[in-house]
Order: sequence, then structure tokens, then C-alpha cells
Amino acid sequence: MRKTRLLTIISLLLTAALFAADKQLHIDGSTTVGPIGDAFAEVFKHLEPELDITVKKTGSGDGAAALVDGRCDVAMMSRFMKVEEFAQAVENSVMPVAHVVAMDGVCIVVHPSNPVSELTLAQIRAIYKGEIKNWKELGGVDAQIVPVSRDTSSGTYETFHGIVMKKEKMADMVEYVNSNPQAHSRVKSTVGAIAYVGLGFVDSNVKSVSVNGIKPNRKTIASGVYPVSRPLYLFTDGYPELGSVTHRFCTFYLTEEGQEIIETKGFVPLTDY
Amino acid sequence: MRNRLRIILNHLFTVFSGASVAVLVLVLVVVLGPMLSKGVTAVFFRSTVEFERLQFEMNNRGDKQQIENSLAEYHEHTGRIYEIYDEFCLGLNVSRQVSQVRSIARDYTRQLRYVDTPDEEYDRLKDLSRDIRDQFSEALESQDSEFALKEIDKILNMPQRSEFKGTEFEKVFKMAKTYRDVAAAMDLDKRDVYSEDLAAIGDLLSKLFGPRPSADKPPLAMNQYGATRWDRVKKLSDELLWKTQWQQQGEGMPLKEVRLSRAQMYSETPMKSFFDILENDLEKIFRPRMKIYWQYLIDDSTPGYFFGGIGPEIIGTLVLTLLAMLFAIPPGIISAVYLVEYAGDTRTVRLIRICINTLAGVPSIVFGLFGMAFFVLFLLPMFKSNASACILTASLTLSVMILPIIIRASEEAIRSVPVSYKQAALALGAGELRTVLTVTLPAAMPGILTGIILSLSRAAGETAPILFTGAVALGPIAKSLFDPTRTLSYGSYNIAVSDRISMLVPHNQYGMVSALIILVLVLNLAAIIIRSRISKRLHAS
Repeated sequence: MRKTRLLTIISLLLTAALFAADKQLHIDGSTTVGPIGDAFAEVFKHLEPELDITVKKTGSGDGAAALVDGRCDVAMMSRFMKVEEFAQAVENSVMPVAHVVAMDGVCIVVHPSNPVSELTLAQIRAIYKGEIKNWKELGGVDAQIVPVSRDTSSGTYETFHGIVMKKEKMADMVEYVNSNPQAHSRVKSTVGAIAYVGLGFVDSNVKSVSVNGIKPNRKTIASGVYPVSRPLYLFTDGYPELGSVTHRFCTFYLTEEGQEIIETKGFVPLTDY
Repeated sequence: MRNRLRIILNHLFTVFSGASVAVLVLVLVVVLGPMLSKGVTAVFFRSTVEFERLQFEMNNRGDKQQIENSLAEYHEHTGRIYEIYDEFCLGLNVSRQVSQVRSIARDYTRQLRYVDTPDEEYDRLKDLSRDIRDQFSEALESQDSEFALKEIDKILNMPQRSEFKGTEFEKVFKMAKTYRDVAAAMDLDKRDVYSEDLAAIGDLLSKLFGPRPSADKPPLAMNQYGATRWDRVKKLSDELLWKTQWQQQGEGMPLKEVRLSRAQMYSETPMKSFFDILENDLEKIFRPRMKIYWQYLIDDSTPGYFFGGIGPEIIGTLVLTLLAMLFAIPPGIISAVYLVEYAGDTRTVRLIRICINTLAGVPSIVFGLFGMAFFVLFLLPMFKSNASACILTASLTLSVMILPIIIRASEEAIRSVPVSYKQAALALGAGELRTVLTVTLPAAMPGILTGIILSLSRAAGETAPILFTGAVALGPIAKSLFDPTRTLSYGSYNIAVSDRISMLVPHNQYGMVSALIILVLVLNLAAIIIRSRISKRLHAS
């Protein structure tokens, strides 16, 4: 008796799975773009209650891999796809299309007690290459510099590595953390630390320094004047079918509400409403 | 002499073992204590009026009438605070005021036409209102306080003022009076500094009191409510009352943190009463009271974990763990029986043993990647059209991960069953299989259960293996085994790495971790109780 009941339950579960809702949207990718995915999903939950949206944040690289494997419908990425990822995708007959949802600046942050408030790209590069070891050399106090970097699979690292480091290798003493909040808390608690985080993570606990004389703020980032700005992407397989769920999701940033959300989450919207 | 040395060594050994137990307990307290004490605040905390509104709007909890009454009172308070703030902001916002004055003057002349004022009178009044308009605008735009005050006093004390009584234009005099208070209280050339600070205050206000009742509903839940917890009220009001600045001390010296009292900064302005309210009346406004939010353990959360509970995460963790057990225990025990009873001691068997021991020590992320490559991308598409990570693949991955642990523990347990038991069973005429099933396995059960307990905690707490095989940060409650699920372990990881939210709702993060620890404890306790029962039965017979 009990066994048959168990069997019925299991078979019911299995059949339920086969007839499961096909209105599903799987989103995967960057931890930086993650908050936008979360927030859009929240709004869609109210707009279209019958829609099932799942969001995962495993990093830009894995987002690209998931799109190639067909494990997700939308890949969030904080960098553009690499050539090899693109080639891999095409080989799997997936055609990646990029939608830029917002702009973000990679802000160089130091402890608020640090008197240094301006650095040049060359100086930052020298710090991360281990050539400048003490804040005294930059007009600060006599203290060891503790450079903190994101791990190498992150899109933020790619941006920094490309624009600031000019693809040169970082020194061995650089500390690696694997998310924006961790970089933020490391700088908050360490007087001599320097790190780079997205604009949304600049608050009263850390101080962002101006780079080449330009302060990172919404205006300078949106116009691309701030040297370490980057667009944030959603990638889909081909341009989403017009009117489909994916299409609605990927164009939501164009609505006023979408813009407002992007701003709330600490990014820079692309258009001015 | 030898004896003495032996006794001393014995004592030493006793002391050391006692000390190591003490250190272990201390470590547990130091590591788990803060976590659990902070995690408890997710359930036990002082809630505010806003929390009641949240519960009512999201889960329909509470008495409608009562909540409406308390909200009306709350909005009365916040409305007054916002009014003071808005008026002061407007006083500072020169360009807006100038355009307002212009439109009032326009409306006024239109009104004059409308009531058919005689031509001469109309021209006179029109010119007079224009003059006042220009004079006031000039005063507004000036950064010289003395000049502005002089001009405004001229306007306020002009003899023709009574002529505008009851007309649209009277508003200008009212504005002038408001602006006079502002200009008298501060250096107008510091206007920019003030506006920047006021923008920050406005930001904090909406976080503290929630959106204004008149405003549109913001799209995200985190902006729809003010502070729902008293500790957050405290934190935000502290930020409102004190402005933190970092000041220079000298060449080559670190900046010093200085906290400036905002109440003092604005003490001469109409904002004074605003800070008085913030300092003294918050208890009256928010009416905090002790709350036991037990629904935290069953509620769904808003995306991003800002509000709500961890119900789906708890269910997901339980389902994954139990399924993994279901998949791993039978093959684990059967393999152990084979290895001990049937396999003998050949080269191949030794190789298999080495492999199992190696697998038991492999990092869990390796299993995660294997699970993704094998279960998600290879096995699942054979039965379903598309590769998607789901509960089934995640629990299969977990079961592969804990299999070696179960095999090793079961092997040891079966090996330690005395040979005489087996020999007795065989002598009584039982077959090989029967002996294993009815004698060896029951006798080895306590040891096997120990291995299961160990692997159970590991399966419940792992993030890496399920990261790519079936856990999501955000998604609906799973309807079948082919849907992905949220879990406690990945949830806490997600809060830690993704958003600024963890800085705003630390209680949620700690709550999740504490729930995971407690869940593992409960599962373990259940297994331990089962084990002791079985042991008792064995010894009793």
C-alpha cells in the first residue's frame, strides 16, 4: 500500500515535469549585472505572474558558457564576449547578440582616511605591478599599499586588466577577492588598501579617487569621459523573437521604470528620461 | 622512579586531552556564537509600523482596520516632517522659485483680465506686480545675504501690499516671507553646500520613512517601505543627525574622521524643528515593539532577499539533501558489502579501494563540474529536449560526492562485525546472502549510520557541487524534480557576493546561515536518535 502510494507520487512528479510551464526564463552570468537581473525579475513577477524567472550569478565567463550550452536564455555579462567564446558559440549554432542595458564605472577606491584623492592610470598600474609600494610615494602617509583585485574570472577584472593594466601581469602580492562586496569591505577595514569596485559600491565607507583628474560620477561615466567606464550587457541567442518573454526582458531597460531601477541599483542608465 | 614518570606522563596526557576538548568547545562558541546570535535577530527583533504594513500588503497578515489607523497616524507624522523639509528645500531652490514667481505673476494678470479690471487700473497693477516680481527674483538670485534681506524687507513692507489681498499674487508675499527666514539663517554663498547636503538628507529620509504617501509606488520592494526594524531606524536616524566628514590634519598625515551635528548646522534655520523631531519623537512615530517573526522560516522573500523569509530555501535544501541520501545510501552499502564479503583481495580490488579513498578527498567543485558535464549536459538531454540544471541533477551530483564517504564508513563497520557472528549463522545453515542481510548488516548498522550522518551534513552545506547543477539565486518554488531550486547554502553565498543588499540586511544573511546550521543539527540529531535505537535493539537481543 505504502509502496504504491510512493510510486504514484513519484510518477506524478515526473509527469508534472513533462507538462511543466514552458514560460520560463533562465538568466545566468555576471555578479556585477546580477542586481539588475534580480530587480527586473522582481518587477516581471508583478507584471506577469505566470512567468517563471530564475537568476543565477556565477560570473561573466560562466554566463557565456551557459548561453553556448543552451543552459540559459539570457547571459548577463560585464564585458563583451571574447573571440573564442563567440567562435565556440557559433560552432554550437548559437548566435550571441548583445544588448547594452546600462553603463558602469570601475571606481578606484581607498580608505576614507587616505589623503590621496587623485591618481593617474600610470600610477594605478604601477601600484598593481608592485612598483609603488608605499603611499608616501603618491603624496599620502607613510604606509604600505595593500592592492586588492577581483579574481581573474570576473568581468570587472577583465575591464581593469584591459584599460588600467594594459594587459600586463599583476604583482604576486596583490590580494584577490571574488566579489564587489568583498572588495568593498576589505577597503573599508584596511587603512592602506586600494581596490576597484562598481559605481554602486562607492559609499561613505570608501573613497573613490579621481583617475587622470576625472571623478567617477553618473555624468562622466555615461559620456565615457571617465577612463574606466564600461557597458553592461545582456547576451541572447540571436535577437529575441519580437514580443517574446526574452524580448520583453531585454528591452525593459528602455522603459522609464527600467531606467529608474538601474539607477536605484547604482548603475548609470543609457538614456535620460 | 619509572613509576613516577609514568604517573606524570599519564597526568600530562589527561591534561592535554582535557585542554583540546576545551579548545574545541571554545572554537565552536567563537565561530558559531556571533553567527547564531545575529541570525536570531531575523526572527526576534523590534518591528515598526512599516513592518506591519509590509506584512499586510505582502502576506495579508494583521487586522486591516487597525493597520489603516496606525498608518494614518504614521503618515500624519511623516507628512509634517516632509513638509518642513520640502519648504526648506524650496527656499534653497532658487531657479524653481524664480519660475514659480513668474508663473504667479502671469496668472495674476490673467485673473485681472478675467474680472474685467478697468484699463488704467489694470496697467498700474500689472506694472506694480512686474516690479515686485523682478525685485524678488533679483533678491532670490543674489548670493549676498545683506542685499537679499534688504530687498525682501522692502517688498514685505511696501504700502501697496494690501492691494493684492485675496488675489493670486498674495502667494509671492508668502514666498518672500519664507525665503526671508532662509536668507536670515544662512550664508547665501554657501547655498550649493547646503543643497548637496539636503539631497543626501532627502535620500536618507525616503529610506527611513518610506516613500511619501502622495508619490507613485516605486517598482522595487526595497523602496516601497521605510525602516521596518528598529535597529535600522536607529542607524538611519544617526546618519541623519550626524554628518561624517574626513578632515585634513597636515602634510603626510591621515585624514581624521569628524562627526558634525546636523542639528547644529541648521540650528538657525527653519529646519531646527525637523531635527528636534528626529531626535525626540522617533519612538512615537515608529512605535517599535518586540516581534517574533516565526514566519521567517516559511515565507518567500522578495527577489534579492530584502524582505521576507527563507521558506523556499529551507525546502530546497531539505529536498536536495534527502534525495541525495536516497540515491547514495543503497549503492554505498551494497558496494561496501561487495568489497568486504565478496571481492577478496586482488589487485583490482586494491585499485578500487585507492580510487574510493582518493574520491573521498576530491574538492567538491570537481564533483560540481563533473555533475554539470555528465548529468546536465549529457544525461538529461537524452530524456528531455534541453539541458537545464534541476533538482534531480543537483541531488545526483551530491550523491556522487558523498558516495565514497558512505562506502568507506560502511566498509569499516562491516569489517568490525565479529567473525563468530557470521560463522554461527553459516553453521545454522543460512546462505551467504541471508547471513549478510540478517546478521552482518544489522550488526554493522550503527557504524554505517555514522557514515551517513557525516555525509548528510556535508551534502546539506555544500555550495560548489550544486552551483552549476541545480541551484539558483532567484526563482519560483520548484514544482517538480526538473525545476531548479533555491537553497540555503547558495542563498547565503549569493547575498555575500552579489549586491549591496548584504550591507543593508545583515540579519537576513546571518539568519540564513543560522538556519542552515540548525537544519544540519536537526538532521544529525534525527540520525543519531535512530542510531542509538538500533544499538539498543542490538544489545538488548
